[in-house]
Amino acid sequence: MTAVVQAEGLTKYYGRRRGLEDLTLDIQPGEIFGYLGPNGAGKTTTIRLLLDVIRPTRGLVRVLGGDPRDPAIRSRIGYLPGELALEGRERAGEYLRFLGRIRGGVAASRIDELAERFEADLSVQMRKLSKGNKQKIGLIQAFMHEPEFLILDEPTGGLDPLVQQEFLALLREVRKSGRTVLMSSHVLAEVESVSDRVGIVRDGRLVAVEDVAALREKAVRRIELHFDAPVPAADFQGLPGVRDLRVEGAGVRCTIDGRPDALVKAAARHTVVHLVSAEPDLEEIFLTYYSEEEGHRDRQESA
Amino acid sequence: MIAKSLRDNRRALAWWSAGICAFLAVYMSVYGSVRENPETYSGIAMDKFPGPLKDLMGGFQDFQTGAGYLQSVVYQLFVPMLFIVCATLLANRIIAQPEESGTLELVVTLPVDRRRLVVERWAALVLSLLAVACVTLAVAWAVSVAVDMGVAFDRIAAAHTGVFLVALLFGTVALTVGAATGRKMLASAVVGVWVVTGYLVVTIGRSVDAIAWLKWLSPFHYYAEGRPLYDGLPVGDYLVLLAATAVLALTAVLAFDRRDVGV
Repeated sequence: MTAVVQAEGLTKYYGRRRGLEDLTLDIQPGEIFGYLGPNGAGKTTTIRLLLDVIRPTRGLVRVLGGDPRDPAIRSRIGYLPGELALEGRERAGEYLRFLGRIRGGVAASRIDELAERFEADLSVQMRKLSKGNKQKIGLIQAFMHEPEFLILDEPTGGLDPLVQQEFLALLREVRKSGRTVLMSSHVLAEVESVSDRVGIVRDGRLVAVEDVAALREKAVRRIELHFDAPVPAADFQGLPGVRDLRVEGAGVRCTIDGRPDALVKAAARHTVVHLVSAEPDLEEIFLTYYSEEEGHRDRQESA
Repeated sequence: MIAKSLRDNRRALAWWSAGICAFLAVYMSVYGSVRENPETYSGIAMDKFPGPLKDLMGGFQDFQTGAGYLQSVVYQLFVPMLFIVCATLLANRIIAQPEESGTLELVVTLPVDRRRLVVERWAALVLSLLAVACVTLAVAWAVSVAVDMGVAFDRIAAAHTGVFLVALLFGTVALTVGAATGRKMLASAVVGVWVVTGYLVVTIGRSVDAIAWLKWLSPFHYYAEGRPLYDGLPVGDYLVLLAATAVLALTAVLAFDRRDVGV
């Protein structure tokens, strides 16, 4: 089977400013690929290259086995831009029907069904839509023609939690029907529940591609434990994976690198009254996951 | 695509047509009194616009005849300028404005070839301007009959065609700059500078030898110098305008097809 996305040495410079450097990536059919990185890391640059909005400085990109410059290839893609601009007096429903016609015809019932799921009001003029409602229109237009490949740039921005749930449900349906998704985010929690693999991009470079399960094991978690009585610090010192340990009376704070098993077993010897496990954020993953690589590079540079 | 652009333009088109028609009606209906007191009005016009300013307004020759009045007041400066502004604003909606506001990003990812996108939206510009031109021509003709100007329909139509072609040319200039750079202000500025210098060259600059040759670069040279109101359709001159427009439109298509959008 041909890969849905094939990028080789894909590089984009905006003048002298680097947008993306030497991206090599394959995304397989049926996969949900989470594309993670802080703002300005090169996520949107990659996505725009995949859709022929911008052209590579060098390198090769193939989407669905062809050149994204070919309109026939683009007709098989659904796209939600990161900063979706909708304006004018036109009503959202009219605009969706226009997009549907250009994409080769979308049944009105399909648009209505999606609008109902997202609770979007299609009779509103586009310039009067709030950010969240614009995002709903953007999602409807990306999903409505049931494309083989969905490219979603920061899809959950501005959505309220209920609509986010509906969006994730829709994504699972897409995966079930064997279609492919590339979605970008700067929050790991947003993509990890639905993604099969995650790519992490930083400073224009793809620094890692991991299975979500593997990434979660490597992720750092901040853990806070409260006991009914002060606990001896010695019980928690030197546990595998436990770092930044602070024991203060009945409270223990630390970060966990990988499995929390040893910490849980150590804590189980006392009475736990309260436990907080903070979701790892991307920054922390960067700090730990890549500190090694960084250190390595620093040493090479100083040598 | 064409239908969509036309629908998006309809409100603007209605306002522009109404505005230009109102202008035509008001200025042309004054002709009745001009004809009755030719000396007074010619005198006023001469006093109001001394020396070079008079050149700038086209010289006010035979102000009291129908054709002369029509040329001086309507087809010399105001109506072409209104059309050019209208054309530039509409042309900016093709690429530069949606690119700056961000709506173009989704449009270029649709399964439509970029060259087709530019061509179809440009075609919509042509049709939009044509609509405004037809409506205003009908009003101009009606008013000229009402105030008994004595200018034949084909002469008015010839002048109106010139206005349409000049406006289309400048609209296409705006499109081309916008398609190549994605910047609305730059596109408008290029049109503005070309319009002003082009107009000055064929009016005040006519008598200055050093810059007289520049008239070949001024679209107004191919419009007003043919004296369509007096002599009918200047076919050769209008073909030059059309050819220049076609070259610019082609440039716009090629330029937009080559570049990054929205960066």
